[in-house]
Amino acid sequence: MVTVSERVEIEIAAAAPGVPLVRHALRGLLSGLDVSDEVIADIALAVTEACTNAVVHAYPNGAAGTITITASHVGGGLSVTVRDRGRGMSARVDTPGLGVGLPVIAAIAQSVEIGSPDGGGTEMRMRFALDGPAG
Amino acid sequence: MENGIDVERVAGGIDVLTLRGEHDLSTATDVSRRIESALESATGLAIDLSETTFIDSAVLRVLITAQERAAERGAGFAIAVADSSGHGVHRLLTLTGLDAKLATRSSREDAIAAAAPA
Repeated sequence: MVTVSERVEIEIAAAAPGVPLVRHALRGLLSGLDVSDEVIADIALAVTEACTNAVVHAYPNGAAGTITITASHVGGGLSVTVRDRGRGMSARVDTPGLGVGLPVIAAIAQSVEIGSPDGGGTEMRMRFALDGPAG
Repeated sequence: MENGIDVERVAGGIDVLTLRGEHDLSTATDVSRRIESALESATGLAIDLSETTFIDSAVLRVLITAQERAAERGAGFAIAVADSSGHGVHRLLTLTGLDAKLATRSSREDAIAAAAPA
């Protein structure tokens, strides 16, 4: 059983090309741990959906901005925070997606919290189990 | 596996669009453009995900739109989701329940056969 704590922080431009970079970095972190390929794939899917949500909604009309992703491995779980500094939470009718991103995240993660941190923007905090089937 | 999008026309005027590797928001526009181009002249469209290791909801939306566009134009349509497709592909379809809405087949060959217009 892996007991060491690890933490990575990634900052990307809020644009589509950054999304796969986050996924690859997360896999890199998880590949060194005793985690099944299926769990890694599930977490990669959930975090991709969270990043896509931030890219699409936080900075409308192509406004520049950044997204910060923090992943911490503590004990038997992984905590991932996706934080933007964009326009914050609001009712949105401009989504180009299916509206399934958040339900997919909720189905995979043990817990999901969405908040408005000091300084503006939106922060999604997800917690994943690493020792068995996700969800 | 290197990411890629290939389009091949096979017998019967059916276009087969193969997605290799990972596809997400960063490639969804390109996938959509290739599908629109194929549907301009193909009698049917088969989308092969048997070599796809990852898709997200941005790509899933493109696939659903493609199925709708094909129906509007009277073209056949099917998607190959095989055992060799990545876990993330199967997982996203199952979690969203859209595996029941999309015309999926379990192999590239079956998808091409199913994409022949009625």
